[in-house]
Amino acid sequence: MPFKYLPVFILLLLMFTGCTQLKPASVKPAESILPITDSVNLPDVIKTLLTKSDAQYFNDNFAGSLATLERAVRINPRHAEVWSRMAQVHLKLGNEEQAIQHAKRSNSVIKNNIQLKAFNNKIISSNFLNKSQEMSN
Amino acid sequence: MRKSKPRKKSAKKKKTKNTKRSFSLSGLLFNRYTFISLTVFVLLFASYLLHLNIKITEKMSGRIWSLPSHVYARPLELYQGKFLTIEQFKSELKQLGYTQLTNRPTKAGQYRILNNSHFEIISRDFTFWDGKQKSQGFRLSILNNQISVLHKLYSDETLSIFRLEPVKIAGIYPSTKQERQLIKLDEVPDDLVLALLAVEDRRFYQHLGIDPRSILRAMLANFMAGATVQGGSTLTQQLVKNLFLSPERTLTRKINEALMALLLEINYSKSVILETYINEVYLGQNGAQQIHGFELASQYYFANSLRKLRRDQMAMLVGLVKGPSWYAPRRHPKRARDRRDQVLKLMHEQGALSQAQLNKYLKLDLALSKKPRFSANRFPALIDLVKRQLKRDYDEDDLKSSGLNVFTSIDPIIQSQAEASVKRVITQLENSNHSVSDLQTSLIVASSQQGEIQAMVSDRKPDFPGFNRSLDAVRQIGSLIKPAIYLTALQQPQKYTLASLLDDSPLHIKTSREQLWSPQNYDKKFTGDILLIEALKKSRNVPTVRLGLDVGLSDISDTLHNLGVKRKIPTYPSMTLGAFNLSPFDVANMYQTFAANGFNVPLKVIREVLNKDGLPLKRYPLKSEKAIDEKAIYLVNYVLHEVTQTGTARSLAKALPQSLAGKTGTTDDLRDSWFAGFSDNQLAVAWIGRDDNSSTGLTGSSGALRLWTDLFRHLNIQGISPGQPSGVNNRWIDVASGGLSEKNCQGAVELPFIQGSEPTEKAECKSAGIIDQIIHFFN
Repeated sequence: MPFKYLPVFILLLLMFTGCTQLKPASVKPAESILPITDSVNLPDVIKTLLTKSDAQYFNDNFAGSLATLERAVRINPRHAEVWSRMAQVHLKLGNEEQAIQHAKRSNSVIKNNIQLKAFNNKIISSNFLNKSQEMSN
Repeated sequence: MRKSKPRKKSAKKKKTKNTKRSFSLSGLLFNRYTFISLTVFVLLFASYLLHLNIKITEKMSGRIWSLPSHVYARPLELYQGKFLTIEQFKSELKQLGYTQLTNRPTKAGQYRILNNSHFEIISRDFTFWDGKQKSQGFRLSILNNQISVLHKLYSDETLSIFRLEPVKIAGIYPSTKQERQLIKLDEVPDDLVLALLAVEDRRFYQHLGIDPRSILRAMLANFMAGATVQGGSTLTQQLVKNLFLSPERTLTRKINEALMALLLEINYSKSVILETYINEVYLGQNGAQQIHGFELASQYYFANSLRKLRRDQMAMLVGLVKGPSWYAPRRHPKRARDRRDQVLKLMHEQGALSQAQLNKYLKLDLALSKKPRFSANRFPALIDLVKRQLKRDYDEDDLKSSGLNVFTSIDPIIQSQAEASVKRVITQLENSNHSVSDLQTSLIVASSQQGEIQAMVSDRKPDFPGFNRSLDAVRQIGSLIKPAIYLTALQQPQKYTLASLLDDSPLHIKTSREQLWSPQNYDKKFTGDILLIEALKKSRNVPTVRLGLDVGLSDISDTLHNLGVKRKIPTYPSMTLGAFNLSPFDVANMYQTFAANGFNVPLKVIREVLNKDGLPLKRYPLKSEKAIDEKAIYLVNYVLHEVTQTGTARSLAKALPQSLAGKTGTTDDLRDSWFAGFSDNQLAVAWIGRDDNSSTGLTGSSGALRLWTDLFRHLNIQGISPGQPSGVNNRWIDVASGGLSEKNCQGAVELPFIQGSEPTEKAECKSAGIIDQIIHFFN
């Protein structure tokens, strides 16, 4: 009887799909760059470099984007926006550890920018989430 | 008898017959020997040709030349508000070989200065790691040591940022010391090719490597003159001679030259041969470096790319082929000019120049640029560091022959300040105290937040390429260890705060060898109880040893490693007073973590590496790691700032207005004098000692601190301004007891505490006198 095992098969299928639905969705790296959150306090030179870095990012030139952000850091390392972007590019490149570290660095120089801090914390915590998932798997 | 006659006859006949046979045999033998000889000769000759052919094709298909690697300084970033003095900018342009004009600049590599503060500049094309930057004309004004205006040239369009090409500071050379910059044939101006062929080989496109007509003409000319006045060598022969043969003048070499020229023409097109020649030809000498190829020669003599030269300049370069030393333009300008004029006339004969053009060019001067310094290794200690860091990724041979372009963070402006400070202060120290002599030194400067090495001096004679003290002189660090010990303690806020009382009374410790060690304070006195902040600020030894033993030697060792020290740290009691060895570079790594508020950034000097064609090979990105809790490091940095105000480095407060932080270090018998300190943007470590490890007669304050201060006086310093991290609160503390006090109480100081660690016991409050209140007000 070909349909003899049909109920078992359906049961297994339901269990399988049910299990996959139970598994939490993995946290994907940011697909786009967070727009500048505090352009008022950024000098023109930093804004120019951020704009250039963004263009490189959207052209998939992530190493170039990082190099441009490093130029900005050399000019003034006290701009949280720049460190945060470095974190985002590292996340895109799959360098999660550096992404976390740069997000922390951004937080260490941040001044009253709740939006940016929340974004940095998301990078830090989502990576911790990924790691805990890997460990539990 | 009868019988004998016929025998004779027959003998004669036989003889005749034999003679005939022998004749034919010898002929046959001769032919056979000839044949064999000829065959052997042909085979040998063919083998020899094959050998030569292999030699040619192997070289031509592989890497023809060993190209030295070039090391570049950081590019100067120009933007409005940047700190830059007029002198510094002039120096940068000079090092880049820019030509100063009194008229408007019209070509790349030229500039003029108006009213001694407004610059009009045309930059050169340059390939950076992130792509090619085209030549750009711009106007820049410097007011009060800052860039006040940055516009496009002859336009009101503002440039928000412009990156000037970096100065080439050194080369990593193969043993041949040949320097060249390759150029493709389609990038070579037609006029240069025309001039070259007109002068060196008019029938280049007609002959097959050797040109009998030219040889006959040269022989005739030489015979008539009675000396060698003309050469008959084609360009191909010259190339063969330069690439494959020795310069000796023998018949064998001449034959080889002719054979190889033929083979080269059979194997390769005229274009390949011409391009190789243009890149190979020797055109001058810059110190120990040989200038090869027209592109490099163009930059060496005119500080400009070959494509951008005028025809008279090209003619001068072509004229040099005949004798680069004899016609050396900087040494023998008249000879060089006469030779150039000859070439120009030949160009005119070939129809490349009209009569009017010829007349115009003949009137022009040679217009040489200033002699560039690109080949000298001006910063031996830094280049040593660059090589060591490169060797982690590249073979020694590749470094010397692959033509890598290495971009670094070296800042020539800061480097020259560091060199000047070393020379000045070492001389002052030796002159002010005649018992002090033979001092040696190391001075390392890095960016505080990014950990990029900007300058390094490893000898009292900065350009002396000897022992690299910054990297290899491992010396006791004395009190430089103390911030690490106090940091270890302050990471336990429930146990230690800046207001904790430490015991500064005699201490006797039994060592593992059953000996008694009794550490002493520098002043040989004991103060009794002392606040933790005061003990560090005043660099008290005895309370520090007690604290170190209490927090644990292995925990201190862990803290040092977290701070970035890579070496093994011993765990014996005297390590708490820095009785172990580190190099100045190790110390710089350690203090960088303090400067970056707990983020450890391994010190590096290389940013990027490009291959010989300008394509990206490797980037060394900025890496940082939060290694220390920001609240604990904030407390230590608070004290390190106090050290520069009222502690062992208080002379800094008078010398420099900016807010700084640092620590002095002195070792037993005044053998080593240290100071490690930082501003918000610069970190520097200074060491002064003697190579024989004898006493210098200097403390950290009287020696290294003076060097450090002298350097920082000449740098653009931004004072430290770390925002107080959340979770840190200030409280008024009674200095004597460490208990809670109030602002207006006598002996009250305001100190930061990690939340929850504030003292709870209240100290007795005696109202402060008017003088104390005034002091409080100003504090």
